[in-house]
Amino acid sequence: MTRRIVLVDDHELFRAGVRGELAGAVEIVGEAGSVAEAVPMIRELDPEVVLLDVHLPDGGGEGVIAGVAQERPGVKFLALSVSDAAEDVISVIRAGARGYVTKTITRAELVDAIERVAEGDAVFSPRLAGFVLDAFKDGERVGGDEELDQLTPREREVLQLIARGYRYKEIAARLHLSVKTVEAHVSSVLRKLQLSSRHELTRWAQERRLI
Amino acid sequence: MPHFELNKHDRVLAGVCSGAAAQLGVDATVVRLVFAVLALAGGAGIVLYFALWAYGTHRRWVAAVLGVLAIAGLLEALGLSGRGVAGATLVLAGLFAVLRRGGSVRPGGKLPTLAVILLVTGAVILLGHFGSNARPFIGPGAVVGMLLFVVGPWVWRLQEERADRIRLEERAAVAARVHDSVLQTLALVQRHADEPARVGSLARRQERELRRWLYGSGVPDAASLADALADAAADVEAMHNVQIELANSGDAPMEERLEPVVLAAREAMTNAAKFSGVREVSVYAEVNGSIAVFVRDRGAGFDRASVPEDRRGLAESIEGRMRRAGGEAVVTTAPGEGTEVELRLPR
Repeated sequence: MTRRIVLVDDHELFRAGVRGELAGAVEIVGEAGSVAEAVPMIRELDPEVVLLDVHLPDGGGEGVIAGVAQERPGVKFLALSVSDAAEDVISVIRAGARGYVTKTITRAELVDAIERVAEGDAVFSPRLAGFVLDAFKDGERVGGDEELDQLTPREREVLQLIARGYRYKEIAARLHLSVKTVEAHVSSVLRKLQLSSRHELTRWAQERRLI
Repeated sequence: MPHFELNKHDRVLAGVCSGAAAQLGVDATVVRLVFAVLALAGGAGIVLYFALWAYGTHRRWVAAVLGVLAIAGLLEALGLSGRGVAGATLVLAGLFAVLRRGGSVRPGGKLPTLAVILLVTGAVILLGHFGSNARPFIGPGAVVGMLLFVVGPWVWRLQEERADRIRLEERAAVAARVHDSVLQTLALVQRHADEPARVGSLARRQERELRRWLYGSGVPDAASLADALADAAADVEAMHNVQIELANSGDAPMEERLEPVVLAAREAMTNAAKFSGVREVSVYAEVNGSIAVFVRDRGAGFDRASVPEDRRGLAESIEGRMRRAGGEAVVTTAPGEGTEVELRLPR
């Protein structure tokens, strides 16, 4: 079954590239170049996954998520971008995106990532894993929910291997876990990322005037 | 020690005097006269004669003992008291013992305990002999002089060896750098010899880089470790047509001591680009207590044992470089398993 996708990016050329790459693997039902364009389109088309640029001319990717989430809670967002500052990426994730991949991703991996996100899993690129490890560094916790504000050693291990470029299957083999368990760890990290009131996360979000 | 030979052709007794004369460049008769006069000084001349003869016939220790005795006799004859003579003799014996070891103690070598004991004992006796208030400076002076004599050459040699080691390390660093940049570029130029545009751009690039290294800092412009790694990755991407996925957790301001990490990482990326057979490389830098950089590919991998000795890339540019910087490099690979290079440097 091919997934129904909406592509949101302000660069026409980039959209054409992704469209070409994904041809045959997914069905691209709509394309938008700005928040104002994207929000009504996604509401109307109700795609399974939205590929979302972190930066858009009239606001970040989180603006799109905020405009859609309530009405279409089933739509999953996957952030896709060249290379961005940690705070931008973390902001989009906290706004509700299920993952972040960089534009250097190969076709097979992108198709796989879309599939995962559609299934409700989390997709972390090495880059995002690095950011998250940074944001959840030891010893900087201030109040809040302890469980949500800290990564378990296992989660840390999984993230570190993702950052080093290992795929879920390779991580599972290396840590003697099942792929399902690895996925569960990543999803748990995503949940913490979205719900934690950890100082760094809050600060980043505040700087972006989201809270 | 001066070269000294008995003169078998022009001799009265054993050829000692003419041998010494030849060595000193004076007439043998003069030497014979001196020996005759010295013989009057408590028989010192006679003992000295035998000492030189023993030396000339390669009985070095006999020569030394006789020589010391001769000088002791001479001092006695000059009117030094028994204790003074004994002290002076011990000091001379100590000096001789040091001289026999080439006048120094090599780093790591054994201290000439015997020589030091002789010297110190002799000095103490001499000081006792002179030791009234009249000569308050001789004591400390003698001790310091002796220490300088024994320890000085050792310190000097230590310095020299340190300089040698620094020179060697510097040379290894230059070799690694040349390997990474110039040799790589030359290899590329050979492979693309029929594409003048490509060759030109490679040459310009290399020139820029070499100039920057020779006249500026090694890794210019980058403000942080992550930036420097990104620059290196961009270079490797441009040269070898690969995609390098960069990730980092934490960062550190770029400084000189991080340069080897960046250069080693760059070399690891280049290796991955050239030998792995795949087009994707992952680089992850982690900065917390220490600095760790991982360079990974899912390519062919290799068998460490089958890498020829003269391929300096891994051993020199990565492992040697990290070692010299005070860190380490660990390479995990096997045929078909991809390769991961892990670079670690304490902060």
